[in-house]
This record gives sequence, structure tokens and C-alpha cells, in this order.
Amino acid sequence: MNNLDLLKIKQLLNRSLTRMDRPTLERLRDSRAQALAQYGVRRTAPAFAWAGKTPWQTLGHTFSGPQKTHLWAVAILFIIFLFGATLYSQQTAEPDTTDVDIAILTDELPIHVYLD
Amino acid sequence: MPFFRLFTGGILALLCFSLSLPVLAAARSWTSLTPLQHEALAPLSTEWNTLPEKQQQHFLKLAKRYPQLTAVEKKRLHARLERWSKLTPAQRKEARAKYRAFSKVPAESREQVKQMVRQQEADKLAPPASAVLPATPAR
Repeated sequence: MNNLDLLKIKQLLNRSLTRMDRPTLERLRDSRAQALAQYGVRRTAPAFAWAGKTPWQTLGHTFSGPQKTHLWAVAILFIIFLFGATLYSQQTAEPDTTDVDIAILTDELPIHVYLD
Repeated sequence: MPFFRLFTGGILALLCFSLSLPVLAAARSWTSLTPLQHEALAPLSTEWNTLPEKQQQHFLKLAKRYPQLTAVEKKRLHARLERWSKLTPAQRKEARAKYRAFSKVPAESREQVKQMVRQQEADKLAPPASAVLPATPAR
């Protein structure tokens, strides 16, 4: 029964809004209201509710209270990690000079030739 | 929420790992080196434990090439290693730059410079002229 209703709704949605008659639209609105009531406000926030909002506004709307604090904590930790990883890679990512060094240290010419 | 716990746990694990990286690459004592590394880096044995970790890592890389060197090259390496370790990073950088520049000079000119340096080295090693003069007989 439920599947049948969903199919009907799908078929109706596929049709242009202008071609829908008023009672059908009313029934669709009622169905949506029932669905919203079943799944709760946060879960059923429609995609178009995010339109025109920045990601921060959207996050602020989606997460609230302790979740928001948690999100901030995670974000700060992630930034710290990125900062640490960047510093470490900068320290270690020096060009490898082993080839040149071994050449200088074993070359016929003494080191001071390259220093003076 | 399990997702947030998992995510936070993952971030904390990554953070701990990133903090432990410098520890993993910590300085190594002279006694912890292999016999081959001991042989290659012998001139640095007395100062090894005082060298910065970064420099130690660099010398260990050099030591890896040691087995491929000829006897003459090994001798040169040993003779120069201590001085090389005492140079400042800027001096080493300068030496590398000069070496690279010199490598680009035509082989003929390079040989001339080498000949000149050989002559200078020979002059340094030769005893002073006055020392080789035969003593004048007393009259």
C-alpha cells in the first residue's frame, strides 16, 4: 500500500506543477507534513532550505548545542594536526644532497677549493 | 553520536602520530650504529653523540654509499669527514653550489684547475728550499 502511494507520488511529481490540480497539491502538502512529523525537523530539513546560506550558516543550523561544540573541537584539532604536519614536512623535505656531498668528500680536489 | 566519537578519535590518533614522528627520527648514539656505519663514520666517533639529529641522519645516508667507494675514495672521505662536519650549514651549501658550478666547466678547464691544485698541494708537502740546500763547507 505504502509502495503504491510512493509510486503515485513519484508519478505526480514527474508531471509539471501547472498540470496538477488543486486537490492533488493539497494531498501532497499533507503527505509532506506527515513525513516531517515522522522523521523530525533535523532529519527532514529539505535540501532547498540550505539554498542561499553559507556553509557556516548551514552547519550552525544543522548542528546545535553540544554537537556544535564538538564540531568546533574537531575542527580545531584538525587545524592543529594540519599545522603540525606542515611544519614537520617543511623541516624534513629538504633536497637530498647526499650525491653532491659524497662527491665533494671523495673528489680529487680538497674541500677548501670549494670553500675559498 | 558514534560518528563524532569516531571522527574525534581518528583526529586524535593522527595528532599523536604526527607528534611522535620527531621522536621516531630521534638521534642515535654511536654505540647503536652498525659495524659498517662505524667504519664509514669512524672520524666522527668522538663527536657523533653531540651532533644534531638532522646531521646524524645525513651522515648515515653518506655511510650507505661507503661500500661502493674505492680504497682511495674511502681514504679521502675519512680525511675530510671531520672538517665537513664542522662546517656551518651555509658553508656546506656554498661548497655544494661551487661543486655543481665546477662540474659544468669544460673537462679541459677542470683538468687544468686540478693540475694547479695538485701542484699547490705538492709544494705544501715539499720541504722548504733552505732545508734541502747542501751545507756550505766551513773555510
